[in-house]
Amino acid sequence: MISRLLHIFQNTPMGRETLLQAAYFTKKLRASLTIYIPRHIKFLMYFDNDVVQVDLDHSYLVSPDTAHDHAIEIAREAGVEPSFIKPKHFTASALPDIPTDFDFMVCPRSISNLSSKLGLGYIGPKVQSIVNTANFPVLIASHVYKPWKNIVVFFGGSANAFNALKLGFLIQNITNFPLKLFTYAETSFEAYQKEIADQGVEDELGLRVEDWQFFESGNLTDYLYNVPHDALVILGAFNHGLIRDIMFGNKLEKIQTSITNNLLIVGSRYSAVV
Amino acid sequence: MKPWRYPARWALFKMDDRLLMMFIGAIVGTCSGFAAVVLNHSLLFLLEWLSQWRQHWWAFILPAIGAALSSLFLEKVVKEGAGHGVPEVIYSVSRYGGLIRLRSTFSRLVSSCLTIGSGGSAGPEAPVVMSGSAIGSNIARFFSLNDRQRVTLVGCGAAGAISSIFNAPIAGIVFTIEVILGEWTALNIIPIAIAAVAGTEISRALQGNQIVFSHKVFDIDMGDILASIGVAVFTAAASILLTHGLRSMHKISGKVRAPLWIRAAIGGSMVGIIGLFLPVVLGEGYHSVHTMIEGNFSSGLAFVAIACLTKILATSLTLGWGGSGGIFAPCLVIGSLVGLAYHRALSMLWPSVDWVNEGCFALLGMAGLISGMLQAPLTGIFLIVEITGGYAVILPLIMVSAISATLCHYIEPSSFYLKELVDRGHLLRPGTDARVLSDLNIKELLETDCVCVSQNMSLRDFVKIVETSRRNYYPVENDETGEFVGMLHLDDIRPYLFNRMLYDAVLVGQIMNPHVETVLPDEDLSKILRKMDSQRLFSMPVVVNNRFVGMISKATLLDKYRKELMVQTSF
Repeated sequence: MISRLLHIFQNTPMGRETLLQAAYFTKKLRASLTIYIPRHIKFLMYFDNDVVQVDLDHSYLVSPDTAHDHAIEIAREAGVEPSFIKPKHFTASALPDIPTDFDFMVCPRSISNLSSKLGLGYIGPKVQSIVNTANFPVLIASHVYKPWKNIVVFFGGSANAFNALKLGFLIQNITNFPLKLFTYAETSFEAYQKEIADQGVEDELGLRVEDWQFFESGNLTDYLYNVPHDALVILGAFNHGLIRDIMFGNKLEKIQTSITNNLLIVGSRYSAVV
Repeated sequence: MKPWRYPARWALFKMDDRLLMMFIGAIVGTCSGFAAVVLNHSLLFLLEWLSQWRQHWWAFILPAIGAALSSLFLEKVVKEGAGHGVPEVIYSVSRYGGLIRLRSTFSRLVSSCLTIGSGGSAGPEAPVVMSGSAIGSNIARFFSLNDRQRVTLVGCGAAGAISSIFNAPIAGIVFTIEVILGEWTALNIIPIAIAAVAGTEISRALQGNQIVFSHKVFDIDMGDILASIGVAVFTAAASILLTHGLRSMHKISGKVRAPLWIRAAIGGSMVGIIGLFLPVVLGEGYHSVHTMIEGNFSSGLAFVAIACLTKILATSLTLGWGGSGGIFAPCLVIGSLVGLAYHRALSMLWPSVDWVNEGCFALLGMAGLISGMLQAPLTGIFLIVEITGGYAVILPLIMVSAISATLCHYIEPSSFYLKELVDRGHLLRPGTDARVLSDLNIKELLETDCVCVSQNMSLRDFVKIVETSRRNYYPVENDETGEFVGMLHLDDIRPYLFNRMLYDAVLVGQIMNPHVETVLPDEDLSKILRKMDSQRLFSMPVVVNNRFVGMISKATLLDKYRKELMVQTSF
């Protein structure tokens, strides 16, 4: 079945960049683009075992009369024919329920928090809630439209990382873009190889991965510097718990702060089938 | 994930998951019982603290401040949609397996405390039901329980809350089954009963085992029982009036172009002004109910009738303009005023008749109004029996509740809680056609083993495909764009099938049906079924952005429908 990507449209110059990014993503993955133009400041997403409330900032409600035309114009300009969703169900009169049966969702940074935090690339608790709860990966688009021509998977050996790796294989298969693996080593190279063999993705790795960069020393910034600027970065969500995040910072946020690439984040409920 | 997060895997509960539900039901009942006690104490504190200023002329501003703060808290702090909560709980049970946001565990407690504590005419029961249900839902989520178990725990939360706040376990159980869940199964009744007991015990341990509205002994004869029919009629009328008042106030306030908190403040100040002249309308009003049931309410018929209408107005202003709270407590006050007014009118018309004490009619009025508003006669009967502590009035009580609920149902087919849900098609009770269809989605019904053919394909090539395929329908796509252009059914090729001369001359694009009804992946299954029935179709293509994604057939749909129905109705 054709993949579907959900995009929450923001009728601003910033929103245009994000929509262009979403359109590029759907075009490359031969997916369909579904746009929601918010009419309310918040909406609910009911997942299998949780409900997430997304609180937008007021920039999402700017010029609602022109939003539909702008969205169509931008998507068509990017060569994609969008479809639109109108909420059918409302938990409260000003609280629509948005469907969750999508294959991807674009979460611009401002969906999660105040626009003032944009510059810091703050991922915010809402996006993390969606990542942790949804059974689809979340695309955190770059600030400015940036077509990607490479695929980089951050692979650390966790269950989420394996899902990210499998998603990398899928995207590589559809796009034919080169796929690279980046590992910030916590154990030996042989241990990673053994895990890959245990998971039964050894052959696929040999077939699809062009390069595996293995960093045994240095800090995270050095490691991230090697990521090509035009790469789609796929990574598993890091679930270290709230207290550890507060004490030591969130790794995902550190990555997002350091690189401006498009990030495709895979949560624990997503399962890619290769 | 740690194993303790999955109690269903514990050896004890592996034997029978009803044990698991009983265990967690007790936890949920205890927590929601605590929530009810906390709200009760907070309300008492706030009412007492504000009482020192109530005698001043400017005291009308207090309900305005309370309602505004309540609205600001809901809108700006916890960012929740307003509303008293019960319809939201029913909605989540109907449509999303009882998923409720974590913030709902406390949001309505705080907001209703501000509204009612400052003098707004509303009750704490609906907020505490919302809170208890949210506690149940989130405990179910934490333990990764399935939808059916989660719904039961939502019911446990509601039952624990009602049981605790009224010290009435049977009313808690009956309210949950009759109003919230709408189904009575062996699977859910036991955990809900345990939760109700837990909630009641918490209330008794922390607040004492008191009958909420104790009363004198009523000596009821046949004349009183017959006269109670009139109470039913008047309480039904008051229920309809209150329902319409709440809705019309909500509509009027919606037209005012001002932030929600300003609207709530306007409603609150109007209630405050009314309260300056008729203090009986302020707050939850339990003190007045107590006085009426004891037969110590001294005011005359005209005053009681005016107080009744004014209470309806004050409740409509409080809740319709954005204050937070429920309708249980106002129903009890209005009901007892109706009963009292009716008794006084009877005494005036037939002074020689030895009517039962007026407290009895106040009590019947309460049952009539609750039954009428909620269209839940059992809840009305058991609630009044439990909160008044006796079965002496059970016969007229049953009659008033039944007649009031029936009359209200004739005039308003849906209860106050359900009206909006029914209008929007959101009330989906288990085992109903709408519920079964809503629990299925196109993605799980999609048949993706279809063979797409090109519109430029020759009939010869197509016949080769048909030889190896089991399907009767073939989607046709544009060669260049991959867009869906039509369908080809085996019947369409029958005229050409036996003339091999045409095999290379005829193209698929020439014989396909380009005018095919398609469906979208997010379309309602009920709509799709209606479309299939009206056009006598057995299957339809699902198309997204002009791309074919699969077929949906009546056979698969009915097969899944049957399975889903079995799941929903299994005990």
